[in-house]
Amino acid sequence: MQEMSVFWLRAAVALYAVGLFHTIQIALRRGASLFRPALIAFSIAIVLHMVALVEAGRLARHFPPGGFHNSVSLSAFILGVLFLLVYWRYRFDSLAVFLFPMIFVMTGVAALQGPAPHWTSSGSRSAWLVFHIILVLLGYAALILTALASVFYLIQERQLKRKKPMALLEKLPPLGTLDNLISQSLGFGFVLLTVGVVTGGAWAYIDTGSDWISDPRVTVAIANWLFCLLMVFLRIAAGWRGRKAAAMAVTIVAFSAASWAFHYVRQ
Amino acid sequence: MKLWVTGLNHRTAPVSVRERLAFSSVDLTQGLEELKNTPGIVEGMILSTCNRVEVAITAEDDINPHQALEIFLSTAKALDSRDLHQYLYGFEGREAIRHIFRVAASLDSMIVGEPQILGQLKSAYSLAKEHGAVTGLLDTVVMRAFGVAKRVRTETDIGVSAVSISYAAVELAREIFGSLKNQRVMLIGAGKMSELAARHLLRSGVQQILVTNRTDSRARELADRVRGTIVPYDQFRGRLKDVDIVLTSSGSPDHILTKEAMRRIVASRKNRPMFLIDIAVPRNIEPTVNELDNVFLYDIDDLQRIVDENLKGRMDQAAEADKIVAEEVERLESWMRTRHVGPLIVSLQEHLEQIRLAEIERVKGKLGGLTSQQEQAIEMLTRGIVNKIAHGPISQLRKHAGADNGPAVLDAIRNIFRLEE
Repeated sequence: MQEMSVFWLRAAVALYAVGLFHTIQIALRRGASLFRPALIAFSIAIVLHMVALVEAGRLARHFPPGGFHNSVSLSAFILGVLFLLVYWRYRFDSLAVFLFPMIFVMTGVAALQGPAPHWTSSGSRSAWLVFHIILVLLGYAALILTALASVFYLIQERQLKRKKPMALLEKLPPLGTLDNLISQSLGFGFVLLTVGVVTGGAWAYIDTGSDWISDPRVTVAIANWLFCLLMVFLRIAAGWRGRKAAAMAVTIVAFSAASWAFHYVRQ
Repeated sequence: MKLWVTGLNHRTAPVSVRERLAFSSVDLTQGLEELKNTPGIVEGMILSTCNRVEVAITAEDDINPHQALEIFLSTAKALDSRDLHQYLYGFEGREAIRHIFRVAASLDSMIVGEPQILGQLKSAYSLAKEHGAVTGLLDTVVMRAFGVAKRVRTETDIGVSAVSISYAAVELAREIFGSLKNQRVMLIGAGKMSELAARHLLRSGVQQILVTNRTDSRARELADRVRGTIVPYDQFRGRLKDVDIVLTSSGSPDHILTKEAMRRIVASRKNRPMFLIDIAVPRNIEPTVNELDNVFLYDIDDLQRIVDENLKGRMDQAAEADKIVAEEVERLESWMRTRHVGPLIVSLQEHLEQIRLAEIERVKGKLGGLTSQQEQAIEMLTRGIVNKIAHGPISQLRKHAGADNGPAVLDAIRNIFRLEE
């Protein structure tokens, strides 16, 4: 029964979400670390994920089971197992900041298969869509703020490196302030885009069934979200800050703007 | 009545003279009492700082205020007035107001734009006020001077930039970190300038100061003075990853921090920025360290260049500030010229009103019983006549009040209408 496989997969997604919260919490620099509970939830999710894959293979009568959703599911599972092995061997917990959300989204995409539920009313369909659009727009606004703060950071840093007199420096905020602004806006941008991507994916799944994945808007949105995740990861795990982080933020926003522009020009 | 300022400052007198003329707090109290008791002196205030001693007074027209103040200063400080004479300057009226405004706005200070002088002037004023030595014109001028100082600070950037090397270093630290509250500092070497910068940093609220030096005893002395913690010299490199600001002033002939060493240190602190201030000659830190990301290295010449630029900037701002002072002097003078007109106008109106009421009263009996309409008509008629008569002199008073012939016009109107002073 395909429903059983999807059920186990959706249960795994729910547990992977704890890992996502761990990354969000680090990105926003709030509260005590969630890594321990997230790791336990992740380990249980891997087991459920395996059950889902075995169930899907049993139904298909061959392993690995074919199709787009099953392939994404299997890739996410392999990534998850690899992470656990690396963590067990090297205690490289910073990797979780990147992999937890990524595996969550990959498994989430894989779980959006099978018979889709129907809208209870046209009102709830539009409300959900509006909610999704607002989240995504707010997310992009936060990323644009990150990029702007990064440009100011680059200017201020250049002035300080060139040892220019303080007349111009005083007109810009201190580097530390700009760095905090970059961190905060990136953190909020990441959270908003994550929720935006999840709600958007779920909406499209209910609305169009499994066809949503081939929509180029979804591809662009997921690519942007992945870059945002990469930026959060590099900032937290690799300590990217200052010039590198600022340059990356500007590049990502420019990429995002270009990809959207390209998409709409083609339409 | 005239306003007068006599005094000396860092430009007119050497420190050997200034220190002999300086007033302690006890001297100030005695001095103010003596000023009050000096015949012909109405008000007085004494400003005594390390760079200037000045006495501002208002005096009767019949005394020579400069001479009176020369005698006052030489007597108070037991100096020969002939020796003192060559160092003293004097300003009267408009120039005295301008001088007081410039002093308050820190345009006459050794370091133009320094903020301490305003506080010192406020203290001098408070003490004089407390002793009842400022009550009239001088009070107004000094109070206005505080306003001028505030306007200069608000409308120009005169006091914004740092003009000492140690303070420039602190300002740069603020540009890098914003608040210094959570920053840690390490002093390598026990140089005087490091200590000054460390004191500024301490005042800015840095979290911790670590001190290291080849000679332990000097490290201990410096640590005591800046409330720091000693780190043994052979261990300081291991502690660098925990500090955000490093001040070096050691006598080492070689670089004690190289680019490679700093690269490792910055990587180990996850690229959190570091500010390195190298005020040693020869330099303690390899200059190429500034090429590393998130590291900002300034040597003594870099800081001096900033200070020079800032001083130049202050001089430009001082020119702007002088325009504000000139404007304010003009405004105060205009107010002083016109301040007597108001009471005279009131006095003239009252005088004419008295005449009008007296005349109505006088003729009422002759006219017999009047209806209320007739009384109203008489009221309107007489009031109209009085207003028309008053209009001419009042206009002339307002017109000439601020002009050179103002006092003559005031006297003429006072005499014509037989108004009292």
